This record gives sequence, C-alpha cells and structure tokens, in this order.
Amino acid sequence: MLLAVLIANPEGNILVERFNGVPAEERLHWRSFLVKLGADNLKGIKNEELLVACHKSVYIVYTVLGDVSIYLVGKDNYDELALSEAIFVITSALKDVCGKPPTERLFLDKYGKICLCFDEIVWKGLLENTDKERIKRLIRLKAPTEF
Amino acid sequence: MDLITSDPTPIPPASSSSSSAAPPAAMPPVSTGPSKPASDRKSKKGTLMQIQSDTISAAKAALNPVRANILPQKQKQRKKPVSYAQLARSIHELAASSDQKSSQKQLVHHVFPKLAVYNSVDPSLAPSLLMLDQQCEDRTVLRYVYYYLARILGDPGSQGLTPGGGIPTPNWDALADIDAVGGVTRADVSPRIVERLTVEALNADVEFHARRLQALKALSYAPSSNSEILARLYEIVFGILDKVADGPQKRKKGIFGTKGGDKEFIIRSNLQYAALSALRRLPLDPGNPAFLHRAVQGVTFADPLAVRHSLEMISELAALDPYAVAMSLGKLVLPGGALHDVLHLHDVLARVALARLCYSISRARALDERPDIKSQFNTLLYQLLLDPSERVCFEAIFCVLGKFDNAERTEERAGGWYRLTREILKVPDAPSAKDIDIETKDALPPKPTKDKAKKTRRPQLLIKLVMRRLESSFRSFSRPVLHAAARVVQEMGKSRAAAFAVGLQDLDEGENINTYSEYSDSDINETAYEANRKVPSMSNGTSGKETVSSLLASLMEVVRTTVACECVYVRAMVIKALIWMQSPHESFDELKSIIASELSDPAWPATLLNDVLLTLHARFKATPDMAVTLLEIARIFATKVPGKIDADVLQLLWKTCLVGAGPDGKHTALEAVTIVLDLPPPQPGSMLGITSIDGVSASDPKSALALQRLVQAAVWFLGENANYAASEYAWESATPPGTALMMLDADKMVAAASSRNPTLAGALTRLQRCAFSGSWEVRIIAAQALTTMAIRSGEPYRLQIYEFLHTLAQGGVQSQFSDMHISNGEDQGASGTGLGSLISPMIKVLDEMYSGQDELIKDMRNHDNAKKEWTDEELKKLYETHERLLDLVSLFCYVPRAKYLPLGPTSAKLIDIYRNRHNISASAGMNDPAVATGISELIYETNKETPADPDSLDDDLVNAWAANLGDDGLWGKNAPAMNRVNEFLAGAGTDAPDVEENITSRPSMSYDDMWAKTLLETTELGEDDRSSGSSSPDSIGSVETSISSHFGGMNYPSLFSSKPAYGSSQSTEKPVASRFSNPSGSSSSLYGDTINEEPPPYTSPVRRFESFENPLAGPGSSSFESSQDEERVSSGNPQYGSALYDFSAGGDDELNLTAGEEVEIEYEVDGWFYVKKKRPGRDGKTAGLVPVLYVSQS
Repeated sequence: MLLAVLIANPEGNILVERFNGVPAEERLHWRSFLVKLGADNLKGIKNEELLVACHKSVYIVYTVLGDVSIYLVGKDNYDELALSEAIFVITSALKDVCGKPPTERLFLDKYGKICLCFDEIVWKGLLENTDKERIKRLIRLKAPTEF
Repeated sequence: MDLITSDPTPIPPASSSSSSAAPPAAMPPVSTGPSKPASDRKSKKGTLMQIQSDTISAAKAALNPVRANILPQKQKQRKKPVSYAQLARSIHELAASSDQKSSQKQLVHHVFPKLAVYNSVDPSLAPSLLMLDQQCEDRTVLRYVYYYLARILGDPGSQGLTPGGGIPTPNWDALADIDAVGGVTRADVSPRIVERLTVEALNADVEFHARRLQALKALSYAPSSNSEILARLYEIVFGILDKVADGPQKRKKGIFGTKGGDKEFIIRSNLQYAALSALRRLPLDPGNPAFLHRAVQGVTFADPLAVRHSLEMISELAALDPYAVAMSLGKLVLPGGALHDVLHLHDVLARVALARLCYSISRARALDERPDIKSQFNTLLYQLLLDPSERVCFEAIFCVLGKFDNAERTEERAGGWYRLTREILKVPDAPSAKDIDIETKDALPPKPTKDKAKKTRRPQLLIKLVMRRLESSFRSFSRPVLHAAARVVQEMGKSRAAAFAVGLQDLDEGENINTYSEYSDSDINETAYEANRKVPSMSNGTSGKETVSSLLASLMEVVRTTVACECVYVRAMVIKALIWMQSPHESFDELKSIIASELSDPAWPATLLNDVLLTLHARFKATPDMAVTLLEIARIFATKVPGKIDADVLQLLWKTCLVGAGPDGKHTALEAVTIVLDLPPPQPGSMLGITSIDGVSASDPKSALALQRLVQAAVWFLGENANYAASEYAWESATPPGTALMMLDADKMVAAASSRNPTLAGALTRLQRCAFSGSWEVRIIAAQALTTMAIRSGEPYRLQIYEFLHTLAQGGVQSQFSDMHISNGEDQGASGTGLGSLISPMIKVLDEMYSGQDELIKDMRNHDNAKKEWTDEELKKLYETHERLLDLVSLFCYVPRAKYLPLGPTSAKLIDIYRNRHNISASAGMNDPAVATGISELIYETNKETPADPDSLDDDLVNAWAANLGDDGLWGKNAPAMNRVNEFLAGAGTDAPDVEENITSRPSMSYDDMWAKTLLETTELGEDDRSSGSSSPDSIGSVETSISSHFGGMNYPSLFSSKPAYGSSQSTEKPVASRFSNPSGSSSSLYGDTINEEPPPYTSPVRRFESFENPLAGPGSSSFESSQDEERVSSGNPQYGSALYDFSAGGDDELNLTAGEEVEIEYEVDGWFYVKKKRPGRDGKTAGLVPVLYVSQS
C-alpha cells in the first residue's frame, strides 16, 4: 500500500498530500515527521537523489526536486525500492508538467495539472500509470492507448 | 507565498483580513509540529467560517439566477487573491453560462487549477459539476470534472473530507448540518454523481470511449463501505469484461502494448485495462470463480498495466487458495506461456507480483499431489532471481527464503535457508534471448553482453547467485538500494536462524558447496572465478574450497563496511542484519564494538534505536541460546543511550533473556544486566565522546536521569530475579535455619554463602553496595530488593541480609562508604542512610519470622523432651502464626503460598498434620489476590484467568514461564512493552514515529533545572498513564491495588504514588504547585520530592517506571498496623506525631519543622503530610505540608 504521497515547500508547508489507509489522527504525525526528516536531511542533496527511512514496517523514500521536496510512504509491497520506482514516476511527471525542476511558484502555477497527474499515478493507494506519455494522454482525457 | 495567485511575495496583512483569501497562516503549520498554537487555530477557524458563509451565499446566488451577477472579469486578470467562495461561485456561474467557449477557457486556466489548491471541494459544487459533465465538450474541463467528482465521492477521513494538502477547508458535511438554511452534504449529492457516472461507464459509444474510462475510474473512488455502489461497480466491471475479455488475444509472444493493433483491438485493450484497474480497487472476492476467471484472463491481455493488476490479484488469491489458482492458470505457466512473458514485461510491480504468485503456488501444501505444477512455478521463481531490477530480484530472494508476509512458520523459513544454500538455478527450458525487452533504466548489474549473458545462464547455486547480486547492490550509491540489500541480509539471517532452530540436518556451512552441484568442476570453477574477478572481497573463495560460511563471511564483510553509510536508517538496517546473521556460538566482539561506536553518534533517533532493541527481542525469540549475547548488546544500549530507549522494552528483554539463558547461562545473564550497577554514576557532560562499551554516556541531564532510572530498574530486577538466577529458594533450601545461627560470625557466614552460591552472593554484594552508595531512589529500591531476597532465600543469606538491614537502619557505617559514594547533589538524609523508617517494617517482618522460628524450635524441644504429642490447639496456634507470617511476607514479594514456610523447614510436618486434620487445602491461599497477582507477575501472564496450578509450582516456578515463552499466548495483552514487541514481530503499525526534540539542544541545563523540569512534568501524567502500565515491573501497580483490597479496600498511602490517598483534589495540587513556584527549593525539599515522586519521563516514549511503586511503599511508610491507623485518619480523627528532623520549607505551602516538635497530622497527600503545629514557628505559620518521612506518627 502506498500510504502517503506528500509534497512540501522548503518551509515545510504541505502543498499536496494524498493519504491512503492512514487513520486521520495519524496524519498530523506523519506530516510533522516527514517534514522534520526533510529539514534534517535534504539540505545539500542533489535533485532526485533518493533518501530512505523506515519506521517499523513502513518505508519512506524522499527526495528534492527544485524547490519542492517529495515524500512517499509505503508498506508491504511498496518497500523502499518500489517507492523509488514510484517517486521516479512522480518526479518525471513533475518535470514534464513544469518543464524543469519546479520553483515553488512554477509548481503552484501548474498546480491543477499536477493534481491531475497524481490522479493518474496514484489511484487509491496503488501505483497506477508509470509511463510518461500515457499519463500525458490521460490528463487530457484521451485513452491510455490511442487509436 | 500565496497559493492562489502563486505570488511569492507575502500578502500584506490588511489584504488577508479584508479579503477572504486564505492567508499564509492558514496553511497547515506543519513545521511547528503537532502542537498548534491556539491563536493560529483561531485565525484558521475564522477563515473557514468565512469560506463557509461565502460558499453558502455563492450557492444561493447560483440557485437564484435572477440575482446571479457575472463575475467581473477584470478582477481575475489582475491576479488578485481569489477566495474559495469566488471560485465556487465561478463554477456555478460558468456551468450555467451560455457562452461555452469563454467559460471553458476560464475554467481550465483559472477556476479549476486554483480550486485544486484547496484541500477539498464542497458537495454543493456537485450539481454544477454534473451540469458541466453533461454539457461541456472540452476535454480538459471534463478531465477536471471527473477529478472533482471523484474527490467528492471519495472516502472521507474523520474530518469529513479527503484532504489533499494545500489550503485547509472546513468539514463541509458538518457545516451543511449546522446550516439551518439547508446546506448540501455528500450524502445528498453522492447518489446523483454515482448515477451519472454509472450511465457513462456503461456507455459503449466509441466516441465516448475515453470518457467512459475516466467515469469508471471516478466511480471506483466511491467508499467501499457502501455495498450498493460496490455491487453496481462489480456489475459494471464484469459487464465490460464479459464483452471484451473473451475474444482471442492478439498479444504477440512477449510483446506488450498495442502498437500496430487496429482500432477495435485498441479499444478492447483499453477497456480491459480500465476494467481490471477498477476490479483491483474492489475488495478481493475469493471463492468466486468468475472473479478468478477474469483475473487469470488478465495475464494474457496486451495492456501491461492490466497484466500487472491481474497478477497482483491472482497472487493475492493464490495465497488464499493456491490450488484453484494453479488450476485456472493451467498452461500459462508452461515455457512460452503468458507467465513467462511477464519476465520481460516492463513493469517492476508486475514481476514482483509474479514472484509472489510463484511462491504461493510452489510452496502450497494443497498441491503436493502435483509436483509438476509446483516445480514449474518454482522454476519461474528462480528465473526472477536474475531480474535486472533489484526490487524484483530481492522479492524473489525473499520468496526463496520463505518470507512472504510476517506470519510464516519457522519450518518454512528453515526450508528457505536450505533451498538457498542447496538448490541450483537450472538453465531455462526455453532460453530465448529476450533480454532485449527488459528495462534498462535500473539495470544493475550492468547489462551483460551476449557472451556474458550466456555465462550467467549456466546452472548455478542459488546462494552464489544471491551473494553476487547482494555484493553488487552493496556497492550501489543509492540509499534505498543499500537499505533494501541490508534488509535482504536480515531476512537471510532470519531464515538461517530458523534453520538452526529446527535443527535442519546437513547444515554444515563449512562443507564445500561445489560438491552439491552435479555439474563439472571446471564449469563451476569458471563461474567462481568470474565471480571472484568481479568481487574482490570474495577472494577467500578462490582457494578452491567454497563453503557457505566463506561466502557468508565475505558478504558480511561488505555488509559491515556499509555501516559507514551516511544515512542512519541504512546503518540501523545494517545493524539489524548483523544481529540476525550473528550466530550464538561465534564471537560477537565485532558486532559489539560496531554497535557501541554507532550508539555514540547523537544523530540516532530514539525510534530507530528502539527498533534495534526490538530486533534483539525478535532475535532472542528465534534463538534463545543467544540470551547472554543479546543481553550484552542490550547493555550497550542501557549505558550509551539510556535516555532514548524504551525502558519497558529493555526490561522485558532482560527478563526474557534471563529465563532464556537456561541453567548454565543464568549467572552470566544476571551479570550482564546488573553490570549497569557497577558503573560509576554519570557525570553530566563529562563523558562526551567516550566510545568504550563500559563507559557511561550520559552527556545530558535527560539521559543522566534516564540512566539513573535504568539503574533503579536494574536493582529492582536484581532483587526480583536473583533467586531465580541462583536457583536458591528458601522453600527448597536444604540448609535448616539453625545452621545459620552457628555461623553468626559474619566473615564465616559470607564465606559459606559465596562458596555455596556465587550467583546469589554476587547479587547480594551488589545490592548491598547500592543500598549504601546509590542515589536516594536506588537505595530505597536496593533495600526493597534485599528484603525480597531475604524472604525468598534460605540461610545463611537471609541472616546475612537481616544483619545488613540492621546496619543500614542504624546508618552507622555510612562514613565507611563515603569514599565510594559519589554525590549527585542530593542530600543523603539527615541521619545515617535515611532509610531507617523505610527499613523498619522490613526488619520487622524478618524479626517476626526469626522469633517465630525460635518459638517453634523451643516448642518442639519441649515436646520432644516431654515426649508429648502436639495438641490440636497447639497446632492451630502454630498454623495461625504460619498464616499470619505468610500474609506479611506476601506483602513484600511473591512467594508460593503452598510451599513457603516462614517458620522454617521444620514446621512443614506439623503444618501438614494440621492441614490434613482440618482439610485445609494448601492451595487455599491461591485466591489471595496478592499471591495470584504475584504468580501472574512471575509467569508474565497479565491475564488472571489462567489458573496457576499450585502443584506445578515446584522446582523452578519460572520454568513454566520459561518453557512457555515462545508461546504467543503468554505474551500478555495489556503489557505495553509486550504489545510493542508483538507488534514489531508481526510487522504491524502505520503510525508515524514520534518527532523528538533535539535533546542536545539544552547543554546548559544543570541538575537543578532538571529537577525543576521533572516536577513540572509530574502533573502532566494523568491517572491513565499509571493505570495503563502493567509490564513486568509495572504490574506491581496491580499488586498495590490487590493489596489494598486485601485490607478491606483501603487505599494505602503510598510513598511513591502520586495518587492522592486522602484529602480533596484541591489540596492535592497544593504541594505540587508549591514545587512549581519554587523549583530551586532547598535540598531538603528535594529530598521530600524524591520520596514523593518517581522521576517522571521526559518524553512520552520512555515510559514511567511504575515498577517502583512497590507494594512495599505503602506499608513501608509507616508500619503494618498502619492500616488501622489510616482508617482512623480517613474517618476524620486527627493523628499526632513528632518531627524527626529539621525541615525547612521550600514553598509557600510548606511548613518549617524543628526536630522533636509535636504536630497534628490532618491528612496525607502524595507523600506529604498536612500538619498543624501547636504554636507558630518563627515564620508565624502553624499549618502546612511536610514530607511524610520527617514525621514519626505516634
């Protein structure tokens, strides 16, 4: 299960979050934990360099892309390596939508499109589309494979 | 930054208050952690209320077209902050607008993207969205419409919304409910949305194709708790599949995707994908043949995602019913079948699912009759070991190792290790060069050339293959890869431990593994050579003899170097792997020094350290032989990071390991725990940077305090378990009580004692030292521990302790120990050791026992001399004494009532006679709650329903406990530490780790500050806190209550309890409050406080040691007869007493006392007496609080 996808700005404000199977009362804890994790470790990290953490049987993979930091939390099948796959899909979709590693402004400019991308990438706690072109088609309401 | 305008310049405060746009403050202030300032919440509430009223008015405006005014266009051009209400209004208006083109443009470029920034959308938008859905033709608008409809439909959290980050929004449903005018809730609009989406999902029009897929997707967001929608979804999905799944699949062998397909085929493939994707989100329906049939069909579909979903579903089904799945898959598993195609599918998760599917079927008992099928799936699984993706390869390794979820049986894991070390990857039956298809993005090791590919295709031992793969992964720069690789090694260790545990034959790891293989030596040597050339660390394998242990040794070398990784999480995983790969009979010096140096790094978060500690538990459970090793490792945690670890979990580890150590290891195990006591007390700040294992690392006051509490726990533990470790019980002692009297010469006594039982003698010495030289709390607990030992041990130990307690009570020898004593700034007590009043009841009980014994011996002699039989009357008197003493003793510690003879072994015969004559069952005492609790305490069973069979109490009481340790049933339910351990073992929990404050950020804190902090936090601990604890020492809390009930339901005034025994709750606060107002109180008030309270924990993970709320504490504060006294007090009769020592008031509520002064005791609260003096003192006060220990009650 992909428990959470979070995107935060450098100040630790959550720009996007998608929780799945995490009790509402735990979400606040996750937010603070992830943001703290990022604040402690993401300084000086290259774009898309993957960092890892784990807690009990839950895995966390996170990275930075431009001005935003991206956190993925998963368990079971979504271990650190599967999350690495998922985060790769997300970062490439973000770069695609924004044209480059986004600044915070650019990210907010493209916010709507980014949400649509997420809608195609993570669907009810499971990774869905991984192919860039396919995602591009789907957010324009085209069929996954065109005829 | 303003999310709406995307304008990075902060909005001036005026605009944020005038407009209803969410000001930056309304963003979730995550960085401030869970505790949001109240003011912030207030402002947010204001914003939300604003949003609400705006929304409602917008909705009303939209419903009333007459009043609807077109949104001023200019306003938007100027990128002014746009409120939620404005956006909502725009949607309503644009949906109703006749000018499609301009309204679409606005929606796509302005309204929808901005609306997305809000956390959620309110249901009242649904009608307009549906209107757009029906009328609008712009694809982008429609895509947004589906997105928002899905969000409205989605399963809400407890806040009634599906949060999505961004600007917080209110709970729309709650708002709608409050709104008397009639707001719109999700319940109102959901049926309409579902209706519309259903119609669209069933629309087979080719022009509608893409929308149909999105409609189905949006529909799948409906909460799965709604059975009506669920049934409808199943209906739609199966309806689609009925139409598109059965036709001939045009997929070319091994080629996925639909390139070159005709239109009809592509549409079909898209529908197959959409249907399976939706089906994947629906609850699994095991036992439904249609479900299985459609899922299995999916493996042959052309769309790679459809194949993945289908594989994921059947791998889950296979775990439940492997037979049915294997039968339905039929020929697909054969070489060239669809499952083999998946090996080349460019989708990592699909291949992962394939591995799990293969595991479930190849290990299924249900398929024992069909070894052919099992081996086909097994072959496929082994092929996945060669997968270029680490994720897939590691999953395959897990499956080979027998790890599937966390619930495998030991035998499975053991078999896994056997397979890994013995089995061979055979040449694939159809070795077609299909590697071309395999993705290249994460190909590691580097994609082999064709020539090399041939070589890797050679038959190889799985273990060599796995080792090589792991070694190359450990050279990766990617932290997730390192972490995962270490995890694989950990799982290898688990399987290996399981293999040793079940005693698998043939496990000689020193054997040359090449002899297992049936292939020619030259062949193997060649591959070995190749491996060695690539991996220098495997050089020890080149000597010709390659063994499992040599392979493991070289792997572990690589693993150990990974400990240098910058990432603390990777390091933790490496340490866990090392712990698991450690075998009981190897030297663990290296592991010890790695851990010791790691723990000296302050970067380690507490949650991670506790994870490692829990790993020790798991390791112990797998191999009880490791007890002593694990204790030694746990000791490093205790000394290095006392402030960070969960003390409950540590103590549980002590206890389980002590039992697990068995008869031979018990002594060593006890030593390993109590070595903590031999360490010099920590000096704050003076121990920085020392990495020796024995050095105490308490660099800050917090960990100094934690260490101190750990020492207390160790002392308690020693007292509680020394007799067990030493196998010395009074009721089994062969030495008659008289013998001890002959050894009254102290030196002889000690010599005799230590020669007979060095373990007990050693424990005794340690406790004696602690009773003199520890901190105040440690001394109290040491005295209690000594009493426990005195009661449980036979002679000469009891006498030795008796003597010692006397000395301690008088305190005359304090000066002798003063050189050993290192002050930690506390007052050691006004006279002597300050333990006098505490010890007196302990001495008293021993006094009574000894005088009872003397009496008995005298009586027996009289009877013998006079050759008289014992009369019934005499026996009765004897029996009553026996029972009375038993009651007394049971107050101090658990003893087996049926066997314990307070009057000495000689009394056994007479007591038996009396019991037989009067049909008194020896086990009658089992109903005694104190005893019952005692037993449950001893066998770790918090569930009192388990009857403790009195007859099984022989020999080693705890043997039963030990034998049953592996049984999960005994790992009680309410013990928090055990819960934590069990949760860890089960791999449960999605809770977030605690965010800890930076403990090194308070370097200037002194011990005084520390105390102040302690006191401050005292009140924060509610009653819940104390009642919840019931792990090993904690459960004494329940003893406390049971003892109270033993004495007619009285609440004992407890020295340690912060529960007020008497007095109003208002007065309860008084002494505590005074602590606050005067944290720098005099030393004597500190003294009072330390009696008053155990130091509470600083952070929530470190649980409070309720353990030390020993039942002793209650009676210890006064005497045994005090129960009657208390009764008098509680009935309102004042009590009198006199001051024992001078006491200077530390706070306004406190009262100065001069030794000898007469006082009237009004009530007791929290270890304090509220007393009245006959005449005012120098300060003019006549009444106030004084520490209980300063007053002797008369």
